[in-house]
Amino acid sequence: MRRLLTLALACGLAVAATAAQAQVNNASITATATVQAPINVAAVANLDFQNVFPGVSKTVAVGDPTAGQWSVAGQTGTPVTLNFTLPANLASGGNLLPIGSWTGNHNTTASPTGTSFTPSGTPTAATLSADPVGQLFVYIGATVTPATNQPGGVYTAAVTLTVLY
Amino acid sequence: MRALVICAFALASAIPLPAQGRPLRVRGIRPLTFGVVFPGIPRVVPRTDPVGSGEFDIRGQKNSTVLLQLTLPPSLTGPGGAAMPVTFGPNDAGYSDSGAIGAQIGFDPTVGGSGVLGKNGQGTVFLGGTARPTTGQAAGTYTGTVVLTVTIL
Repeated sequence: MRRLLTLALACGLAVAATAAQAQVNNASITATATVQAPINVAAVANLDFQNVFPGVSKTVAVGDPTAGQWSVAGQTGTPVTLNFTLPANLASGGNLLPIGSWTGNHNTTASPTGTSFTPSGTPTAATLSADPVGQLFVYIGATVTPATNQPGGVYTAAVTLTVLY
Repeated sequence: MRALVICAFALASAIPLPAQGRPLRVRGIRPLTFGVVFPGIPRVVPRTDPVGSGEFDIRGQKNSTVLLQLTLPPSLTGPGGAAMPVTFGPNDAGYSDSGAIGAQIGFDPTVGGSGVLGKNGQGTVFLGGTARPTTGQAAGTYTGTVVLTVTIL
């Protein structure tokens, strides 16, 4: 009788254990994300008008040796936007020299023979190169218009390029 | 001998009892996908995102109350073992007894939740979250594993 009770108890425990085990189940999924390479923008060359004379406008074209230039590197083959902060004047102390008529060119190789555009605060679309470097070269030109009584001096201002994915 | 036979019979008949003929089953249906992210910019995937949210399917006895427990990664692992933090908010998980993504009841995935299987014995868990790449996060694909454990109460 005792053996029977022991067996019954063991049996009951086994049933309970089996029942409890059958009530739990699980499964998994993956979580994934793809990180893009950060964008690096480097100033390569300043936009340099060199000597200008009062009353004589001077233009530097994107293909000129003194055009402004940046290099951009990021995620291979990825679209980006080019956003410029452009000055209206160059300054020398309190004297101003108007600058405008901006021109631009971007290319996936280091040559100002790519796509022409007009630099502005409005985003310009471009695409980084499809090679592993993911690069882009940006060139900028403009025209300065000295007044006939423009004071002598060195006039400067910052031209900023912001590149976004 | 008779006792052993009775015990064996009881065991055999006990196995289907918890589900009344329909065993509990859990399946991963859809991965939690953050897609393309950029260094320094968090990417949020809501649990109601029909493409990016993670999804689990639960099948069992209809009207069963189920306990839902998620095992969440603190980060995803990428190139060279690099880690990208991921976080889960108090409303980033949801349960639906109809399978409809628009009919979820939210719960905190870090705490767990509960639900009742529908009339067809079905339930669905959806999961959102936030990927938080650092400003210096290395480029590449990052992955992690999310586990859902379901217990019938």
